[in-house]
Amino acid sequence: MRSRAILAAGGVLALTVALGACSENKNTDSDVDTDRVSSGAIATDPADSKGPAKPVDGAAKGGTFTVIRQTKISHMDPQRVYSFVGLNTAPLYARFLTTWKDDGKGNVTLVGDLAETPGVNVNKDCKVWEFKIKDGVKFEDGSAITSKEVAYGIARSFDPDLAGGPTYIQEWLANDAAFDTKWDFKANKTSLPPGLTTPDAKTLRFEFAKAHCDLPFAASLPATAPLPPAKDTGVELDNKPFSSGPYKLVKNTVGVEMLFERNEHWDANTDPVRNAYPDKFVYKFGPNAEAQTNRLIADGAEDQATLGWNGVDSSLVAKVAGDAGLMARTLREPTPSAWRLSINTQRVPDLSVRQALNYAIDRPGMVKAAGGDLKVAALTTLMPPSTLGFKKYDAYPTDIEKAKSTLAGKTPELVLVIGDDSGAQELGTQVKNNLEKAGFKITIKVIPADSKLDETKKKDNPWDLYLDSWAADWPSGAALLPVLFDGRTIKAEGNSNTSFVNNDAINAEFDRVLALDPAAQAPEWAKLDERIMKELAPAVPLYADVMFVMQGSKVGGVYIDSIFGYPAFTRAFVKQ
Amino acid sequence: MLRFLIKRLLLGTLTMFAVSLVAFGMFFMLPRDAVATMCVKNCNPERLERVRVELGLKDPLIDQYTGYMKGIFVGRDLGSAQGGFCDAPCLGYSYTSSEEVSDIFARVLPVTLSIVIPAAVLWLGLGIGLGMISALRRGTVFDRLAIGFSLTGASMQLYFVGGMLMIIFVYTLKILPVPHYTSLWDDPLDWASGLVLAWVALAFLFSAVYARLSRAQMLETLAEDFVRTARAKGLTKSRAYGRHALRAAITPIVTIAGLDIGGALGGTVITETTFGIQGLGRTAVEAVRLGDLPTIMATVLVSAVFIVVANIVVDLLYAVIDPRVRLG
Repeated sequence: MRSRAILAAGGVLALTVALGACSENKNTDSDVDTDRVSSGAIATDPADSKGPAKPVDGAAKGGTFTVIRQTKISHMDPQRVYSFVGLNTAPLYARFLTTWKDDGKGNVTLVGDLAETPGVNVNKDCKVWEFKIKDGVKFEDGSAITSKEVAYGIARSFDPDLAGGPTYIQEWLANDAAFDTKWDFKANKTSLPPGLTTPDAKTLRFEFAKAHCDLPFAASLPATAPLPPAKDTGVELDNKPFSSGPYKLVKNTVGVEMLFERNEHWDANTDPVRNAYPDKFVYKFGPNAEAQTNRLIADGAEDQATLGWNGVDSSLVAKVAGDAGLMARTLREPTPSAWRLSINTQRVPDLSVRQALNYAIDRPGMVKAAGGDLKVAALTTLMPPSTLGFKKYDAYPTDIEKAKSTLAGKTPELVLVIGDDSGAQELGTQVKNNLEKAGFKITIKVIPADSKLDETKKKDNPWDLYLDSWAADWPSGAALLPVLFDGRTIKAEGNSNTSFVNNDAINAEFDRVLALDPAAQAPEWAKLDERIMKELAPAVPLYADVMFVMQGSKVGGVYIDSIFGYPAFTRAFVKQ
Repeated sequence: MLRFLIKRLLLGTLTMFAVSLVAFGMFFMLPRDAVATMCVKNCNPERLERVRVELGLKDPLIDQYTGYMKGIFVGRDLGSAQGGFCDAPCLGYSYTSSEEVSDIFARVLPVTLSIVIPAAVLWLGLGIGLGMISALRRGTVFDRLAIGFSLTGASMQLYFVGGMLMIIFVYTLKILPVPHYTSLWDDPLDWASGLVLAWVALAFLFSAVYARLSRAQMLETLAEDFVRTARAKGLTKSRAYGRHALRAAITPIVTIAGLDIGGALGGTVITETTFGIQGLGRTAVEAVRLGDLPTIMATVLVSAVFIVVANIVVDLLYAVIDPRVRLG
């Protein structure tokens, strides 16, 4: 699981920083459906996992689709992919065990990608899982993809040389967070990690020591992409992956340009989600968000089939929002990246103080400070609306008088720590002014933005309040609530539970829900979300990021995916 | 001449050695953990520690430094996490790009050279030309215009000029493509059209300084006795000014040009960022941001080579331009 703020080092924060300079763009109607509720499940009908993908209205084959982005993609090796751009680019050149059917509006179904179904829970105890590989799935050289190549892909993710990717499956197989000490990939290249077997060429079997009902979700990450052992070039694979998807990477000028062309051996009839309309995909790296937006506004001949990955630049938001013609070429959807004001409950043990903080927060003011409602959408729950089973509630409707009465004359002195970047400073000042109206005394402590995350993750950190964010790897409460609020996981440093709550009743509830069948979990997480806020108030939910990107006039079919909240290209096409 | 060259090259090598030591030392003072940056998620302290050992970051500093220098001259084995044996001149393996640093440089160096060298030709020609003419036509309308032009150029910033040029020529008139780099050998026309805005922007800013400088130098030289003597001896105006005055006036300009070009090669980050082109400058800045030691070291070393070489070239040019200078 992944803290969004960590990725900030790579650009998310830069976006927020830039936004800080521009908070007056309020005159636009927001048509982002911030209350949209996700619905979704794991496909039970094997027909859902069959290809071909449903055709997109008005789409035609052909053309070159271009993506422009400021910086290169950190990893292309499917076993190492974990950045948002990597996660949404990998489906072009790799297939996974499972994948999401996604309408871009929050309605998702987990289906089999290489597998015929999204997994069989053999003994209904989530400890033994089986996947059957489809017939007719092939690599870029025409060789067949079997369970052996999928297993090899998972095995190589144990190699510490190939760090960077998700580690769920490795940890579950090894039953240890230090999975690479339990099984040494380099010394055992011809065997498989403990618990992973291939009874025959079609079957892949996982046997875990503990129940892991989230396996079908975890298997949707690119780390389950297959690889023939003979094609494993180790670290070099990062710049020249071996394709199992509809496109192959034919030219990669690292940091400058990547060119994908069709993989002729990919069979649309095996693929439930990829339409693969364009003949080519080109990624061009270099231009910043401002240059990208300017180019797309100009819509010159070479940019008409282009999408600007880094979003509408904050300096141009007003211009784009004020022009219906330009707005028609934007995509705007809430993302799963949820921001909250974490309260360090070790230092603020008084529940009434934490509740008063919740009553006091002025969300419209926070939204404005964070760039306006074109960039963020207010949130009163711990889980963002994109979570399966999400139920909207507001445990502490904003009310300064209520905050004061909850404090009952106390004037708690709290320390808010923020990073030294301009966006954070603006948000910090907003929080301070806001909370002081309710009687709090807030001291802002500024520390280097680079180290803020590491510092706040230390158990003995000397601060009371900090802005945190979280983007789950799949839209289940299981990927959010226990990670952020299970007190039994608290260690000296590197905590995701930055509120440091540890409540036995809540912890027991985590265990109970995690053991349920995945389909039954969703409503339980929503209930638990509300219960945590009411009983513990460990944080003040603030807002979820809104993705706001622009594309050229000939782009069609791109959607903001419901899982990560970034542009997705499985249905993209070039208007002819 | 040869003795001079050998002496300067030895001195240059010594400079490079000092630069490499300083750069290496500085990296370890950066408040940044390269390994933690490489493995941002799900990394427990034990795993990070093993990666540090594998990368040799736990070896004594002196071993790491000698290992690095050895790689440059004879190559070295970097281990499986870094692509195996790295042939000389081995600048190491990038922690973040999964490729050898020398491969990165083979890619970004031509970009930076393609930006700076044509731009330098343009700004030197334009700047010195304007300066000389306005010195010879002192007080005329041309002189005033040239001074105004150079004042404007000298007071502007590259990101502003570059941004304006892009808005005018790329986004509005659409007569130029979006700035980009193509190899000169692949398509010379595309190479030029992709970089011309960068050249013009750089030339506009830099030529300003040269125009003012060369005008002042020329005026000073024209007032010297030897120019008057040359004229009195019956030399034509063009011969006296062109052969005698110009050579004397240009010497200090060559000094500054050498430093400027050397500096511009090592510091194109603003140009590259403004025009969205990936060259040496942006590579260097990204490397620092991500704590990519091998790339940082290489950019520092290469930038230092530029400065050292530019200085040697300047000294050689002195001898060519000014007969009073003897090398030795």
